[in-house]
Amino acid sequence: MASSLKYVRVPPNSASLAEARQRVFEFFKTACRSIPSIMEIYTLHDVVAPSHLRSTIASEIRKNAHVTNTKVIDMLLFKATEELSNIVEHAKQRHHIIGQYVLGRQGLDVGTKDQGVSDFLKNFYKSNYF
Amino acid sequence: MASLTASSLSFSSVSCSFKPNQVSNLRKASLSFSGKGFPSHRMPALRFRVACAAKPETVNKVVEIVKKQLALPEDRDVNGESKFATLGADSLDTVEIVMGLEEEFGISVEEESAQSITTVQEAADMIEKLLEKK
Repeated sequence: MASSLKYVRVPPNSASLAEARQRVFEFFKTACRSIPSIMEIYTLHDVVAPSHLRSTIASEIRKNAHVTNTKVIDMLLFKATEELSNIVEHAKQRHHIIGQYVLGRQGLDVGTKDQGVSDFLKNFYKSNYF
Repeated sequence: MASLTASSLSFSSVSCSFKPNQVSNLRKASLSFSGKGFPSHRMPALRFRVACAAKPETVNKVVEIVKKQLALPEDRDVNGESKFATLGADSLDTVEIVMGLEEEFGISVEEESAQSITTVQEAADMIEKLLEKK
């Protein structure tokens, strides 16, 4: 069931921005329709509601809403489809789903690890430029 | 009382396509509004009009889902005629609302129907149609 769901042949290039838009909506609908089976697989019934997962998916899509290059959009869609098929065929585990899609910014890191550390070190751990 | 409110809904519904019957129904309804009680033989005609437009509770459920999705405050007035665009929803929001409705009512919406939905009333009518087909 899982592999047949994800065997959507994405043609290599979107002809125009409108077609890329359509593909994004198609992907979003496919993802929303597979949410019930995802909740079943990872037993998320008491953890999160389907509407929460839907809004998480929508916000992930919105993060890249400013992109106008159709090739970039195709690439992002490919990665998203790959991620969705990994989740649906149970290649991930429950804590991955909870950390990445249910919890907020910090994910599974509770944040007590680095609390006493200075700001300099915090910025240093995050990136080279600050 | 319920049939009166339902018939008033059918007047404002744009998607009802029975043009000649609507005009005659307007005449009938104006007669019944003027008096406190209406003769019982009018009831079947008014009830027939309800089948054309969406039921009020369907519209209410749609309104509730829309409000929750777009995070609108409770006092914001959302009725059958509000377009999703005026409520501040972009196209992704509209698709998400349709998905929420799919989950809520257990229906499945195809592509063309999903494209044509712009107002709350259209969404409620489409839901009614799909529920009848099941």
